[in-house]
Amino acid sequence: MIELIEVAERARTGPRLEEKKWNLTLFRKMQELIKEYDLSSRGVEEFINTDDHLADDAFEAALDFIVDVGAYCITTNRVIHFDEEEVRKAVREAPDQVLMGEGIDARVFKQGIVDGCKPININPGHHAPFTEDLGPLVAKNFAQIPRTDFIEGFNFPIVDGRDVYDQPLEAYAAIREVAWMREGVRKAGRPGLAIVLYPISTRASSLIAPMNPKLGLRPTDGLLMSTLPDVKVEYDHITTAIVFSNYGYFAVNGSFGMAGGFCGGPEGAMIEGIVRPIIGYIAYGDSLHYTGVEHLAYVMGERIVLHPVNWARSVVFQALSRNTNMIYMEWNITCSELCTETGLLENALRSIEATVNGAALYAPRVSRARMNAGQTPVEPEFMIEVSDATVKAKLKREEAGKILQQIADRLKGRSPEKGKTIQECYDLVKHKPSNEYQEIYRKVKKDLVDLGLEFQYT
Amino acid sequence: MLKTSDYITRLREAIMHYDADEATKVAKEALKAGVDPVEAIEKGIAVGIREMGERFQRFEIFLPHLVMASDATTDAMEVLVAAIPEDRIGLVKRGRIVVGTVEGDLHDLGKNVVVMMLKSAGFEVFDLGKDVRTEVLVERAQELDADLIAVSSLMTTTRPYQRELVEELVRLGLRDRIKVLVGGGPVTREWAEEIGADGYGRDAVEGIAEAKRLLGVDE
Repeated sequence: MIELIEVAERARTGPRLEEKKWNLTLFRKMQELIKEYDLSSRGVEEFINTDDHLADDAFEAALDFIVDVGAYCITTNRVIHFDEEEVRKAVREAPDQVLMGEGIDARVFKQGIVDGCKPININPGHHAPFTEDLGPLVAKNFAQIPRTDFIEGFNFPIVDGRDVYDQPLEAYAAIREVAWMREGVRKAGRPGLAIVLYPISTRASSLIAPMNPKLGLRPTDGLLMSTLPDVKVEYDHITTAIVFSNYGYFAVNGSFGMAGGFCGGPEGAMIEGIVRPIIGYIAYGDSLHYTGVEHLAYVMGERIVLHPVNWARSVVFQALSRNTNMIYMEWNITCSELCTETGLLENALRSIEATVNGAALYAPRVSRARMNAGQTPVEPEFMIEVSDATVKAKLKREEAGKILQQIADRLKGRSPEKGKTIQECYDLVKHKPSNEYQEIYRKVKKDLVDLGLEFQYT
Repeated sequence: MLKTSDYITRLREAIMHYDADEATKVAKEALKAGVDPVEAIEKGIAVGIREMGERFQRFEIFLPHLVMASDATTDAMEVLVAAIPEDRIGLVKRGRIVVGTVEGDLHDLGKNVVVMMLKSAGFEVFDLGKDVRTEVLVERAQELDADLIAVSSLMTTTRPYQRELVEELVRLGLRDRIKVLVGGGPVTREWAEEIGADGYGRDAVEGIAEAKRLLGVDE
């Protein structure tokens, strides 16, 4: 692997380029690669890709992109170049499993298997905004989910009654975030469960602040350190990566391609969704990647966009599975809010899709999360049930695609559904959803049983 | 001999084909042929870039297409605006807007969309990028004599910088002259009201409608 200090050096000395020119260079190169590898016309009608050659071609296109174009450092406005040997070596060396957490709560997070028949790993939350009074209690509830492999922190605008504002307060808030997470996992009876720092700010000072084996982040914990959209990196993250990697922490990379953005449509986003995990590993030492393809309108909560984004996402997962060791996860985000039928249907669709593509589940929040309304334990628990049912049914890509089509038919024409806050639909003391949410959950589950899924518990 | 409508059509098409060279060339030819620059802008360029904005909203084209169409627009506008007499310049000016994500926030996807949509709505837009300090936003707005500053933040912890912007404008006695439009994931209408911003956009479409309202632009 290229040393991180070498990456920092290249970010400081690489050729200068205006950011706007980088954006357009990226777009043009993506278009060129789509044509060269004929990525747009093969199997696009499928919900889940079944053409392994297409996945391999998409992977080669991504490698071509990295070797020919590189990555862009927004701090220095310079391009970072890598040669083919460096990239192929990195892809071979990336870890296929990460040991996280401590003692009896330690877990192994692994690369999944396409068309596999084993339960997949999961991070059930947070990645969402909660107020400081709810924070530790919310963390406890997510740690109480037995299948949780690690939990991520959350963000909050006020700490100790003060606005989280500027570097000193950001650093302090980051320390508090981890302290609350530690308190939450302790109260759940799983003190060794791995925690991932959700950045209060992306400045190195606040990312590094909570490192403290006794009360803060332990070396068996991790942090979220994502490459930026359009294959961009920056100094604060490179700095943080150098520090964390020296002490053995693991890092998570948010790295999907954004259809509608500078990479173009779903096919360009498909290439970006493969490129960004590789760059994340090389430039930041990230070892877990939530990637795939998302659509601008979906992420912004404007409308439910499914096909062909699902198809493109499946190509990304399969490309990484077939050609790398990298651990990839599906960002199971929904357009609809909490305590809604549409939201759970969106969750179900993405859980089935993730499972057959060998992607671990990464359950972040609803796309436009309001304060205390980003997630409850219901959604990740439901995702796990759906995923396990998918495994139990031994669904392969083709059959799964047919079920996804039927779920998509149910979602067709629906707008993102407005929902409730966590206090309105979930009892955090009893770890129990409201009667209304239970009704919705049962209804959606029955719907999925009718489609052929068999659940362990009815 | 080409008619005025032919030049206007060619200008519109150059924008819609992202062809900056062609747009500049046609703008020059149109002026030479005696076409009114205000008419060329309103019926040619403005219609072309607005159509591109609508296509983007329908997801028929993507962000880079809008960037290229906007570049073609800027180049052709430069030629045509220079030919408009001082007393008529107000006819094509819709307002000058400084845009950026606030300090500490690297999330610029939504901001990029808003920038392009504002441009396609005919505003003069100065994109300062991401992680922009409040002083820089204000300084640039003053230098450019901007009518509005639009800022986004995607993190609850960077949202206070929107309040800082409003306070800084008040402190410098610029609040009456420069309007403030806020947006971003954790930003709500209530927050906009609480900090005393003039407008709020939940998404790009709403943001552009707010900018038009604040700057008194009629469709």
